[in-house]
Amino acid sequence: MRSSNRGSALPARSASRIGQALGAYVLIMPAFLAIGVFVLWPVGYSLVLSTMEWKLGYDAREFVLLDNYVKLLGSRVFWNAALNTVVYTVAMVLASIALGLGLSLAITAGKRLQSFWQVLFFMPIAATMSAMAVVWRFLLDGNLGIVNAMLARLGAAPVAWLTGDATAMGAVIVVGIWSNAGYAMVFFIAGLSNIPEALYEAAAIDGAGILRRFTSITWPLLSPSTLFVLVIMTVRALASFDIVKVLTDGGPLGATQVLSHLLYQEAFQFFDTGYASAVAVVFFLLVLLLALLQMKVEKWVHYQ
Amino acid sequence: MGSLPVAASRPRARRWSPLGSLPVPVNALRLAFLVLSGCIAFFPFLVMLSTSFKPVREVFQLSAHLLPQRPILDNYVEVFSRSLMLRFLLNGTIVTGLTLLGQLLLSIPAAYAFARLSFPGKRALFVVVLAALVFPRYIAAVPNFLLLSGMHLINTYMSLIVPFIGSAFGIFLLRQFFLQLPQEYFDAAHIDGCGLTAMLWKVILPLLRPAIGAFAIFSIVSHWNDFFWPLVVIQKSAMLTPPAGIVYFADAEAGTKWSVIMAAAVVVIAPLALAFLAARRQFISSLTHVALKG
Repeated sequence: MRSSNRGSALPARSASRIGQALGAYVLIMPAFLAIGVFVLWPVGYSLVLSTMEWKLGYDAREFVLLDNYVKLLGSRVFWNAALNTVVYTVAMVLASIALGLGLSLAITAGKRLQSFWQVLFFMPIAATMSAMAVVWRFLLDGNLGIVNAMLARLGAAPVAWLTGDATAMGAVIVVGIWSNAGYAMVFFIAGLSNIPEALYEAAAIDGAGILRRFTSITWPLLSPSTLFVLVIMTVRALASFDIVKVLTDGGPLGATQVLSHLLYQEAFQFFDTGYASAVAVVFFLLVLLLALLQMKVEKWVHYQ
Repeated sequence: MGSLPVAASRPRARRWSPLGSLPVPVNALRLAFLVLSGCIAFFPFLVMLSTSFKPVREVFQLSAHLLPQRPILDNYVEVFSRSLMLRFLLNGTIVTGLTLLGQLLLSIPAAYAFARLSFPGKRALFVVVLAALVFPRYIAAVPNFLLLSGMHLINTYMSLIVPFIGSAFGIFLLRQFFLQLPQEYFDAAHIDGCGLTAMLWKVILPLLRPAIGAFAIFSIVSHWNDFFWPLVVIQKSAMLTPPAGIVYFADAEAGTKWSVIMAAAVVVIAPLALAFLAARRQFISSLTHVALKG
């Protein structure tokens, strides 16, 4: 399958063009088949499924149009999960950004050990989250947990971190921050290294203090990075599943139930295929909205 | 979509400070902040490691020391001899390896076509790739489960591999590398009379090595660590991969033998953690380059 012979006569050229196009289709076909079947088609099929009343394992399927959506929007469980998702996302994202920014500034302000700190804080990204969530379960265990053991030494009463109404979401958020702050940090360090050194030299000549340098140079020039990190972290927060599944399984009594986990439960524990698909579609629209936002942000960041 | 605002090519930060030189007290605060955050970030790893070397009973004493008094290997012996951990590791290796192989086999030709050939519908088809890039995996979970169970593939390696071999991200990333290669390479190969296959093996693959490396790190990290999908398609414990296996082990088998569970966690985390420590820069650059894929 030899493609173009450059600069030959016209008929030969158009023949080779057709050859090239055919070759190209052959080359992209396998990948498109796989993406089509397992990535694109499921979106359409989910839409169809979401209009059905169908419990997996039963033959009876019935088209119910928007009933699943009506049920969804009238369901406390759904709104609870949606609200928890927002709470988790906002808290985790804002804290990770603040911490990531703080760490990046603290690391780059020093002359030594920059790589050491960076590797240390990035470690949670490379570590298998579900296994680390098991470790966190041990740390936060109500009876034998290390955190409670440390509290006991200070004379404080043990806390049922993961099974208590008031603390479970907080615990999930803290673990989320632990696993994501280092990711934000790396982007901020990259952003900081793009700020021209001359600006700081000029500021130094003008006698600007640390705070002034931060507010008038670092923060404004870092804002594209900040926006970018904001979107990426939000997508990560919405998609996060492992932490909730392992730490609390959505409990106690739905206190840490989030949309990804609700979808998993409805689809693969209660086998309510139609309803779960409606949850999936709503979730999909949410993430798609963010993805579009991300593309816009990327363009803006890139071409600013 | 162009390049991302990540100076991933140089994760080592520069040697000057964006805040200028710091007065001594501020510098002390800075160090205190780093040390404190560093301790918190490392604390779970420390507890995991130290507990994994402790006798099971020592964990139950609230007054226990943070570090084991007499380190023992019994917990590791128990993990390997009395759990399915070796099987989980084998499953994980097979699944991760074959997934990567499949992704490369499908993505490299497609990426080449998008970067180097012209054909009708190229733009539209590439938009499809970009769309697939941002679709969240959860929307595909139910249909893919139905499809795989219709094909009687539940509880097989195939069910863990096949849904992921069409990698929009692989195409996207490799296409960018193809675009960066000078046309001369391809022309030279033509003049030498290379067929497409020969060109692929002799010219393109060697040039692509850095791109394949970057993609491989991303792919291996995502699929070795994946917890969600094995939970969906695997119901036989012997077919689980390490992330789902460790949770199954902790929930169903180990009870409150925390030191054994911690040893199992170390075993699950070790391969990627060690790889990360060995190739820090490549990992950070690969995993941030791909921030696109949440």
